[in-house]
Amino acid sequence: MTPRKLKNSVMGFLVAASAALLIAVLVVIVWHIFISGVKYLNWNFFTKAPAPMGESGGGVFNAIVGTFLITLVAAAIGTPFGMFAGIYVAEHRGRRFADVVRLCADALQGVPSIVIGIFGYTFLVVRFRSYSALSASVALAFMFVPTTTRVTEEVLNLVPSGLKEAAYALGARQSSVVWNVSIKTAAAGITSGLLTSMARIAGETAPLLFTAFGSRYVEWNMLRPMSALPLQIFIYAGSPYPALQQQAWSAAFVLVLLILLLQYSAKHLIARVLRVKA
Amino acid sequence: MVAQPSRSDQRELVRERIFTAAGVTAAVALVTTIVLFLLELFIASRASRAAFGLPFLWRSEWNPVTEKFGALPMIVGTLITGFGALLISTPFALGIAIFLADYADRKLAEPIKYLIGLLGGLPSVIFGLWGLFVLVPIVSKFEVWFGKLVGSEALVASGTTGVGLLAAILLLAIMILPFSASLILESLLVVPTELKEGALALGATKWDTIQNVELPYVQKSTVGALVLSLGRALGETMAVTMVIGNGMKMPTTLFDPANTLASAIANQFLEATSPVYVGSLIQLALILFVIAIIINIMARVILRRGVQQ
Repeated sequence: MTPRKLKNSVMGFLVAASAALLIAVLVVIVWHIFISGVKYLNWNFFTKAPAPMGESGGGVFNAIVGTFLITLVAAAIGTPFGMFAGIYVAEHRGRRFADVVRLCADALQGVPSIVIGIFGYTFLVVRFRSYSALSASVALAFMFVPTTTRVTEEVLNLVPSGLKEAAYALGARQSSVVWNVSIKTAAAGITSGLLTSMARIAGETAPLLFTAFGSRYVEWNMLRPMSALPLQIFIYAGSPYPALQQQAWSAAFVLVLLILLLQYSAKHLIARVLRVKA
Repeated sequence: MVAQPSRSDQRELVRERIFTAAGVTAAVALVTTIVLFLLELFIASRASRAAFGLPFLWRSEWNPVTEKFGALPMIVGTLITGFGALLISTPFALGIAIFLADYADRKLAEPIKYLIGLLGGLPSVIFGLWGLFVLVPIVSKFEVWFGKLVGSEALVASGTTGVGLLAAILLLAIMILPFSASLILESLLVVPTELKEGALALGATKWDTIQNVELPYVQKSTVGALVLSLGRALGETMAVTMVIGNGMKMPTTLFDPANTLASAIANQFLEATSPVYVGSLIQLALILFVIAIIINIMARVILRRGVQQ
């Protein structure tokens, strides 16, 4: 075997080995979450608030409610901003300001989550003198907007220009072309992007630490402190009680399921809707 | 005679105006956000600047008891964990990307890509949970073993915890791996097939082709991808917070408990009561924000150049 061929085989092996290693790591992590998570799941875990200190049992119903409320409100606040910014960038492609907006969206995507948490604290919690779920939603909306902007823009860019030109040729205005042609064609893609962004913010912890703060009770009022699954995992993981550490694993399992569900529906449900339409 | 605009025309005109205004508003809001972040963090951290001034950046004492604060231990911790993780994960990321682009057939590549997406989508706090209960005990055993090997009793003694820089670096390396691998893969997939086939036709082996044709072609975008991954690693919060040990001193070995900018805030913000302490932590957030913005814009510019070329 010539050195060249030897090198070829060795590198081929190394490259395959690194892929195998990645799969191994992933399997180990998912395995731990699954095994440790499922073991302690029971009905109370889903339906009860945390038990008072020192008592056994209890669940994370408060955190499940919190995750849903905080994520949905964040998405509701962020969607119009993100979508319209995305439409703006897509419709003004090539102009300098659109480039600036796109660059800002990219830069905002890279802002560490803890900085968003601190911003939420100084911007909202300090002003309103109270921790609240709403301030957490606003903080998460700051993460939701840039991703939505980029996804909307990308999907709108995929709309065939022939379709839009045909509408313009019929005398339609820009707004009606965007609404009736672009958005309708790209609706599935945009919805899928929104779900993906939601999956991302549903797992965020750092923006909630100093805004939602956490609560031991099932809370429905957005103006009061509220718990969420990631927050509960963080608090329980650091607790010295094995019972609470076990609940952290179960909560992690539930959170991963929720995120997978969102990602799955983003990918497949939307694909099916598209196929039915076509 | 000029036709009068009909009522429906007028309605459409109004709709058009609202539509344009909404787009411009959202776009301006997005750009303003960055300025708003800067202003808000700058104002909220003024107590720290009043007390320590610019030397805050290079003073190495962080002491909540005497209320003397300097950011150097956190800056050092951030750089060590970030670059350490990048150093460990980059060869693997390259390997995975090359494997998926050139070696695996579709049936194998698709599920692996799906798994990479899955790993990349896991929340940071779950990596932290796994790190704390699975990775940290392993690091702890390694530390005791290593301490005995080099005959350092201090290491053996501190090895009982296992939290510290090394655990954080390893966990971060795992976390940024899917991100950098998929970014590199994206750029590998756009290498023109003719180029590869040309090299193969000249008698080059597969690896010759990868080394001399593909990798030089994606050089710029790979650098961009790595800078972007570095940005991720520097700002990563929860996972690092849970395994780095909240050390206040300047770390001297890789096993020492330490803090990054992000983990110091997450660990200490709720305990901070005095204005100087709170201001100093917000100052850390400001430093982190500026670093993150610069790195991200830099990476995007490099990536864009890579694509244009």
